[in-house]
Amino acid sequence: MTNLNITETSSTPAIEADWQAGVIRMKGDSYPENSFELFQPVVDWVSQFLREAKRPLRLELDLLYLNTSSIRALMDILDMFEEAHRKGTEVSAVWRYDAANERVGQLAEEFKEDCTFAFDITAKA
Amino acid sequence: MSSRSEETEFDERIEALLRAAEHGNPLLPAFEELFDRYRAQQRLLDRLTRISDHFQQAERDRGLNYVDRYQRKVRQIEKIVRISDRYQSMLRELNDRLHLISTRDELTGLPNRRYLLERLDTEISQVARNGGTFSVGLADIDHFKAVNDTRGHAAGDAVLAHTARCIQESIRDYDVCARWGGEEFLILFPQCGVADALRLAERVRHVVEDQTRALGLSPVITLSIGITEFRPSETVDAMLRRADEALYRAKESGRNCTVSADQADRPRAP
Repeated sequence: MTNLNITETSSTPAIEADWQAGVIRMKGDSYPENSFELFQPVVDWVSQFLREAKRPLRLELDLLYLNTSSIRALMDILDMFEEAHRKGTEVSAVWRYDAANERVGQLAEEFKEDCTFAFDITAKA
Repeated sequence: MSSRSEETEFDERIEALLRAAEHGNPLLPAFEELFDRYRAQQRLLDRLTRISDHFQQAERDRGLNYVDRYQRKVRQIEKIVRISDRYQSMLRELNDRLHLISTRDELTGLPNRRYLLERLDTEISQVARNGGTFSVGLADIDHFKAVNDTRGHAAGDAVLAHTARCIQESIRDYDVCARWGGEEFLILFPQCGVADALRLAERVRHVVEDQTRALGLSPVITLSIGITEFRPSETVDAMLRRADEALYRAKESGRNCTVSADQADRPRAP
C-alpha cells in the first residue's frame, strides 16, 4: 500500500499517512468544500491498514478549526480505531494543541469521549 | 394440550399394546399404521416449531440491532452538533476579537482611525438621507514632543493613555473619540452644529487640563482643538482639512484653546 500525502491548503489540512511507520497525521484547518473527496482516501487507507497490516496504528492530530462534515469524518475514523481496539489491534491517538487556545483542547476531549483506546491530549507551549 | 410426560406415557402404553400382538385383533395393522403416522406428524410439528422459533429469534435480534444502530447514529449526530456548535462559538469569539483589534487603538483603548473614518462615512450618509448635521474636533496635546524628549517614551505613552481617558470621560455617550495618530485625537459630535461642538470641545479641553493639574502632573497637559461643522456634499477629507487648519490656528494663537473653522471670531480660553 502506498503512503498518503495530501498538501495543506487554506481550507484543508495537511494529511500524511505512512504505511511503514503505521502513523497517520493531520494538521491545520479543515473547511473542505467536498469533505467526502478529502476524507474518503483517508478512511480507505485506515480501513486497509487495519485489515492488512496487522501492526499498531497511531493517529496524530494537530487540527484547529473543523467544519461539520470534517467533524463527522474524523468521528468515523475514530470509530474505526475504536472497533479495531475492541478486536485487539493496538491503536492510539494524540491530539496536540496550542496552550494559548484551551478551547481546542476542550474540543479534543469531546472527540475522545467515547474512545477506550489510548488517546492523549497535550498542550504545546 | 397434554404435557410432554403424558404424551410419553401415552406412547409407551400404545407401544406396549402393539407388542402384545397375541390377541390377533384385525384392527391391529391399521392401528399400527395410524400410530406411525401420528409419530411422523409429531416429529414434523416439533421441527416446524423449532424452525419457527429460530426465525422469530433472528427477527428479534435484527430488530434490536436496528434499534441499537439507530440509537448509535442519533448519539453520533448529537455529538457532531454539539462539537460543531462549539467550533462555531470559538470562531465567533475569534471574529469578535479580530474586530476589536482592527478597530481599537492598543495604547489608549480608543477606537482607531479606521473605525472613525467608517463612522464619518455613515454619518455623512445619514445627514444626506435624514438631514441634520454633525461636527468634528481635532485635538492635539500641547508640547507633547517635549514630554517624549525629556521624560522618555514610556512617560509619553502614559500621557497619551491618561489624556484619552480624560477625553472619553468628558464627551457625551454618543460622541466618538478616536486616536487619530501620534498625539492627535479626532472627536465626532453627531447631530451637533458648530456652536454646540464648540461648547463640548471646551468642556473636553477643561477636563483634560483640570484633571492633570489635580494629579500634580508637571508640566500640565493641555489640548489645542480645531472644530468644524460638516458642509453638505463635501468630502470627509475636505472637512478634516478644515479642522486641521483650525487646529493650526489654535496652536498659532498660543495653544490650550479651541478654534472654530466656521466662525470669523476666534473663541478664547476663558
